[in-house]
Order: sequence, then structure tokens, then C-alpha cells
Amino acid sequence: MPFGTLKGFGVTLKHIFRQPITQQYPEYKRPVYPRFRGRHRLNRHENGLEKCVGCSLCAAACPSDCIRVVAAENTAEHRVSAGERYARIYEINLSRCIFCGYCELACPFDAITLGNEFELSEYSRDDLIYTKDMLLAEPIKRVPVQDSDLYDTPIPAYKSSS
Amino acid sequence: MSDLVKLTIDDREVEVAKGTGLVETAAAAGIEIPVFCYEPRLGPAVGACRMCLVEVEGMPKLQAGCTLTAQDGMVVHTASTSARAAEGQKGTLEFILVNHPLDCPVCDKGGECPLQDLTFRYGPGSTRMTFPKLTFDKPIPVSPLIALDRERCILCYRCTRFSSDVAEDEQLIARNRGAYSMIATFGDEPYRAPFSGNVIELCPVGALTSTQYRFEARPWEIQDVPTVCGLCPAGCNIRATTREGLVKRVQSRNHPEVDGGWLCDKGRFTFPHLRSDDRVREPLVRGTVGLEPVSWDAALDRAEELLRGAQGKIVTALSGSETTEIAYGLGVLLRRGLGAHSAVLDESTSAALDACRAPLSTIGAAELVVVVGDDEVVDRAPIVDLWLRKARRAGAEIVTIGARGSVPAPVGGAAEALRDLAAADSELGGRLRASDRAILVWSGSGGGGGARLAEAAHALGFEGKPGCAVFHLPARANARGVAEAWAAAADADEADPEPIGLLVVSGDEAAGDPSVRALAERASTVIAITMFHSLAVGWADLVLPATASLEREGTAMNLEGRVQRLRRAVTPPVPDELAWLSKLAERFGVALSPHAAVVFEELSGRIYGGLLLEQLGEHAGLPARRPYEAPEPTPLAHSPEANVPEDHFVGTLRLLRYTPLFSGHQVERVPELQFQRPEREVALSTVDADRRGIATGDLVSLRSNGTSVELRARVDARLVEGVARLADEHAAHLHADVEVVKA
Ligand code: SF4
Ligand code: SF4
Ligand code: FES
Repeated sequence: MPFGTLKGFGVTLKHIFRQPITQQYPEYKRPVYPRFRGRHRLNRHENGLEKCVGCSLCAAACPSDCIRVVAAENTAEHRVSAGERYARIYEINLSRCIFCGYCELACPFDAITLGNEFELSEYSRDDLIYTKDMLLAEPIKRVPVQDSDLYDTPIPAYKSSS
Repeated sequence: MSDLVKLTIDDREVEVAKGTGLVETAAAAGIEIPVFCYEPRLGPAVGACRMCLVEVEGMPKLQAGCTLTAQDGMVVHTASTSARAAEGQKGTLEFILVNHPLDCPVCDKGGECPLQDLTFRYGPGSTRMTFPKLTFDKPIPVSPLIALDRERCILCYRCTRFSSDVAEDEQLIARNRGAYSMIATFGDEPYRAPFSGNVIELCPVGALTSTQYRFEARPWEIQDVPTVCGLCPAGCNIRATTREGLVKRVQSRNHPEVDGGWLCDKGRFTFPHLRSDDRVREPLVRGTVGLEPVSWDAALDRAEELLRGAQGKIVTALSGSETTEIAYGLGVLLRRGLGAHSAVLDESTSAALDACRAPLSTIGAAELVVVVGDDEVVDRAPIVDLWLRKARRAGAEIVTIGARGSVPAPVGGAAEALRDLAAADSELGGRLRASDRAILVWSGSGGGGGARLAEAAHALGFEGKPGCAVFHLPARANARGVAEAWAAAADADEADPEPIGLLVVSGDEAAGDPSVRALAERASTVIAITMFHSLAVGWADLVLPATASLEREGTAMNLEGRVQRLRRAVTPPVPDELAWLSKLAERFGVALSPHAAVVFEELSGRIYGGLLLEQLGEHAGLPARRPYEAPEPTPLAHSPEANVPEDHFVGTLRLLRYTPLFSGHQVERVPELQFQRPEREVALSTVDADRRGIATGDLVSLRSNGTSVELRARVDARLVEGVARLADEHAAHLHADVEVVKA
């Protein structure tokens, strides 16, 4: 009986001198996998025009119905995207998004892609509705990404280690 | 039976009536033959697109299925059983797509596009073309309402066929040849015609699109609400497309007996008036500095006070555009609650017409149509004009009797003309009597319209002949329903109070009517129920906001006597009329439900013989004819038009006002429709113009009693002598007799 108790203390004692496996988030941010699906981004062409043409295909593909696109027509004076049409309003309700990435698959212009950022908590639900300006801008919080070479091998890193 | 043919399609035996098209025959057997250009409503098939290729045994080459009719013993293979047909269709689609841009994501048709759907099902998976596609300037505004993208056009000629063979406006044409063929308007003028919008719905690709709907919504983001157009008495069946609580477009819902799948541009394009800036969004009470917004409670208090104060001296001006339920609700409140039985409704329909009613589509099959009255049919009930054109194409004779008729008649002479027709010695009357497919239409105001028409039809023996019918075209959408509902709300007789203590003005048409305004001068207080500020200012003591027909639940009766159901497409920005009427009714101790369906149940028991809402269905049927009951005679002298000045000297002409199709409070508030508004011109007969040395295009001045209006003159060879015809909105304050001089 006392031996059993001592054995338990022994385990505890042993772990005191080990490296902890807990990571000190948020001071330390563990890199995510390269194909991790986080917060969306809207992309631009090199010439600065938006790639999105406001076709709503992403909204159609979205299983949780959290994208809202309202389109408008480009004019010579006010050209936003390359085609005739652009997204005047583009909103994603990130409190409903399930990060499935279907929008990215549906988009015919690679205008929307899912980035790596997962730090999306807010004090109010309303703040989780990301508008077009927010999605076009570089994310404020950056998330480190694993070296993609590690995963682009016959035996990717997550199979050999973890 | 001998007029049935038996044939085999895809190893399936089908039996259809002789003369059935192959596409319909296949559909009857549950087999699809894909089509682009084929549209039976546009007349005979043209075989332009070759999408419908099928293999017919015994014929060496693939055949365009849409051009074939079912023959006895025919053996047909469609793409599903014939590799050759499948290959042919695939090739056809490849050819169609050679120059078709792949801009589906930006195209408004994307998602509801037959070309997308059929390519997906019958076409090649990828393209073999490596050269650049043909490009054109785009989009081209065919009119302020329609945008044309020539790159997307597949040259099926549906639009040009509609323009030349259905609406007969001959404005859309195909220009050039081969790959450079393009759709254009004649001389690149804007496509200005009453039915232009139908080409948008006909176009099987996104080549003709609506500018109002441009980039507004995609098919998976919308809800379609089936309802009925409330802008003219034809009551075309429509589908209102809504997104995020706003109406985005209006399309036809094809009731084959009423509209045949067509709509006029007024019905199709006026919905933006729902969000007009000057819409009344809260009750207004006249205060020290004009109209001031008040709460609904305060408004109802004020209404109660005004109603109680004027008890026994209330007159109601009805518009005829209310739903039957609203009219009944008003009747219950004012007649049952307050004993105010006096109403004005400037319509002359009659229930006796029901003895000779028939669907509007009977016109299309007629052999003789007589239209009496001074107004153009297209201005009153545009869809009827399309039926008349259809009848004429099928060989019918159309006789018009009126100020612009093929048989000229003096202004306001419609009633007399009808009496003459019914007389035993009339040649035309004799033919009407003898024919099994004769139609009488009354297109004009006053003169006891409906009753006279019903009498004439009775005298001509129309009741026994199902192919013969009469149609009275009222000015307002639900004139029949409103009149009947008001009458059904109480039993007491009407009596005109003098002086008028309170005038209740129901609806925008009444509020804009000069005769109602004149009545208001004699009333000490006015309650106006209207949608727009500009109709409310200056005369109302209390303004209650109204709703539009697209925002209403309820029913309406069209000119045939068909009861059709209106559905609320979008929630109005204000409580609807029944909601506050029921609250007011409570204060006067009468029961009125705020729900249109319950009100319908009550009134249906009184006027429709217990018809149920469910019985109306999606496409309401036309009730059977009712036995003829002689209408109450209205003396001819009752109508002001009957007093035509016999001999006019040079200088004075009789003013013939008409209300053009593109006019009214709704149209005024839609910027895209402004180009359809009538020109500022006055029509004069050739004789009168010559006498004054006036030619078409001259500036003339119309004078009467101190007011004058300047307009362009147009010499109208069809117009009778002694008349100056101009649109209501340009006539301003002119009196009945005008002097016309060159300015
Ligand atoms: S990731 Fe999925 S759920 Fe989220 S917006 Fe895209 S499609 Fe919708
Ligand atoms: S992000 Fe892509 S799919 Fe979504 S609206 Fe824009 S272009 Fe269309
Ligand atoms: S549908 Fe038959 S040729 Fe176009």
C-alpha cells in the first residue's frame, strides 16, 4: 500500500525533470500545416484589380450559407474587377463557417482562398461578419506555417513523426 | 379513332392526335427532345438551331425534330437510343459554342440558362477550339430596359420572331449574314414597344437581359412568388422574383387562357415604384406646418374622430385597384359601422357580362371581332391586343368602331354603335349573329359600358354559343371585384350626402383623379389612403399609407370575371390596409378580420357562392356562364361624351383624352420606363389638319377657357374629324372644346 503511493510520487518526480509538451500559446504559436484551412482571403490580380467578379458561386457552394454577395457593374470610371461585374458587397459570417473550403473549390477565378489564420475570436458575433475590405486586407494576426517541403515527400512528416 | 396517330419514339409506343409536333409527342411519352429555337407560341418552327436532331427510320439524314409532326408508323430515335443523333447534337453544341463566350459567372442567365443545361447534358466536355472567339461591343442597350450581348447570341431568332410575328412591332431584326449575323433594332433606334420585355424571357441564352435585373441576383439566391399583375384589368399571371426582401424582376407565369405567357412592359418593369423615394411610410396628419408624421395609434384616433364627426355625411372614392378584400373591408367599416353608403367608382362594368363570358384565349380562335370604343385596346388591357393580333393572323376580321376605328364613329358613340349592331337591319350585326366565333370588345370609358355590352351580346344571341364572348375593358385592375365587394358589404341603398362631411379617398388612382379632387373641394375633411407623398400633400387631413398589389394578399377579379389570387411578394414597409381597417372596425363595433383569407371566406359566401381560396389554385379557372339578367338601364345622356357638338366650326375641336399604357403613378416613378412615355403631341384628323395648314411635327397650341398647351401635331389618318386626341397627362386643365392653332 505505501509502496503504491510512493510509486505514484515516483512518476510525478520523473516528469518534473522532463521537457514539458504543453505549448505556451499565445506566446508561442505552433506552426499549422500548409494546407490548413483558416480565415478566408480575397485575392487581387497583379494590376490591383479584384479577382472576384461577384458571381455568387461560392455562396451557392457554401453548405452553411454564410456568404453573401451583392454584385454591381464596373464602369470605366469605377473599375473594381476585370469583367463586367464585381462584388459590391462580399460578406462571410465566420461564426457560421465550417471551414470546408467549398467556396475555394467553387470559385472560377481563384478569387477566394482559405488562409491559415485561425485566431478569430471576438467579443461580439457581429464582429465575426467579415466584410470585403477585411477579406481583401492582409490579416492582422499572422500564423506560422510548417515548411511545406516536410509534407511534400513520399512519407510526409505527419506520418513519420507527430 | 382516325385522328390519332401511333408512332414509336425510343422504342416506346405513343399515340397522339394527328398534327401534334414531334417535340410534344416525345414529351407526352416522357422523352425529351432538347430545343433552343423551337417555341410554338411564336408560330411555325424555323429549325434554326439544330439542337433537336433526331434519327427517323427511313430518312437518310438526321432530322430537326421540331420541324416534324407525328406521322402514323414513324420510328424515331432520340439521342438516348441513337448514337448518330447523340453525335449530331454534340456537334451542334460544339458549333454553337465556337463563338459563345464562357462568361457564365458574370452572365445573368447563368444558373437558369438552357444553353448551360443542355451543354452539360448533351454537349462535349471540353473545347477543341484554340483560336480567339469572335467579339462584339457589349453590352448594347437595345432600349433603356434591355441589354444585348451579341457574343452570347446563338441566333435562334426567337426575339425577332416575337417582334415580327407576335407583337408585330417589327423592330428587332437580324442584320448581316453567317458568323457576323447579329440582332439589332431597325436603324439602331431604341426598341420602343409595349411588349418588348418578352424577348428577355424568350432568349435561351444571356444575350438579351433586363437592365433592371442586371447583376441583381443569381437563380439560387431568389424566391419566386406566384401572383397576379395588378396594373390592368387583364390580370396576367406573374411571378415576382425577390431577393433579400426586394422585388428584383417580374416574369410571366403563363396562364394559357389569360395571357398566353406574355406580359406587357408596364406589368414587367414597373415594380421599382415599390421603393420610390416619396413613398408614404407612416401615417401623416395635417398640422400647423403641413403634413406631420404621427404614430399609428394617434393616426387611428384621428381617423376615428374624423369618421365620428362626419357620421352620415361620408363619401368614399374607390380606385378600383384595391383587392376585393380591401374594398370589402372598407365597405364593412364605412357602410356597416358608420352607415356611409355613398361611394364613387368611375367604372361601368356590369355583372350581366357573366352571361357571355369566356377565356381571353377565345379571341385568338375567333373569326370576327368587333371592338367598340374610343380607347386603343393596348392602352386599357394590353394583353387583349396580343390576342386580337393572334386572331387577325389566323384570318379573323377585326372591325373597330370608334374615334380611330376602321368604322369611324363620333367620340362617345360606342353605346349607339352597339345599339345599331344589335338592330335587326345591321349587316355587321347579322354576321355577328350568324357566327359561332364572334367577339365583342368594349374599349372605352363611360356610356354605361358593361351593361350596354351585355345587352348587345344578349340581343345577338351570344349566350348559347361558347365560341362567342364579350369583354368589357375597365380602366382599373379590379374594377369588377371592388364594385361587387363594396355592394356586398351592406344591404342599404346608396344616397349622396350633401354637404360632404368627410371624403375617404382609397388608393392612388382615386387620389390622382381630377374629379375626386373636385369632390374634395366640397368636402370639409379628407382622409387619403395613398402610397405617395405627392398625391397626399395639399388636400388630406389624414394620410394613411397604402400598399401596392405586389405587397398584398387577397384576390382580384379580372375583366373576364375570373377570380385570381394575389400573393404577397415582399413585406410592405407599412402595415397593410386590412390590418388597420380591422383595428378601426373594432372601434365602431363591427367585426373584420385582418387576414385576407378570412375576409375572402366571408365575402365569397356573399358574392362568389362560397368559392374557396384553394379552388383558385395556381392558375384560376373561369367560372361557368351565369344566366342573363337584364342590367339596369342607364340613360345614354348620363355619359358626358354623348353630348358631342354636332357642327364644329373651324377653330373648335372636341378634346379626346386618353390614358396611355405607359402612364400613371407607378410608371412615373420608374426611370427606365420614361422613354416609353407618350410624346408630347396631339393627333388631328387629316381634314382638320389641312384646314388649319398643320402638318405632322408642327408646333401647335391648344387653347380653351384661358388655358393653353403647346405640343407637336401629328396627323392621324384614322382619326375622325372634329377631334383633337391627346394623352391625359398632357391635357392638363384643358376643357372639352379646344381651339387648335399653329404656334
Ligand atoms: S469554407 Fe465552407 S462553410 Fe466556410 S464559407 Fe467556404 S464554403 Fe462556406
Ligand atoms: S469569390 Fe469567386 S466564386 Fe465567389 S463571387 Fe467572387 S468570383 Fe464568384
Ligand atoms: S429546336 Fe429544332 S432547330 Fe432549334
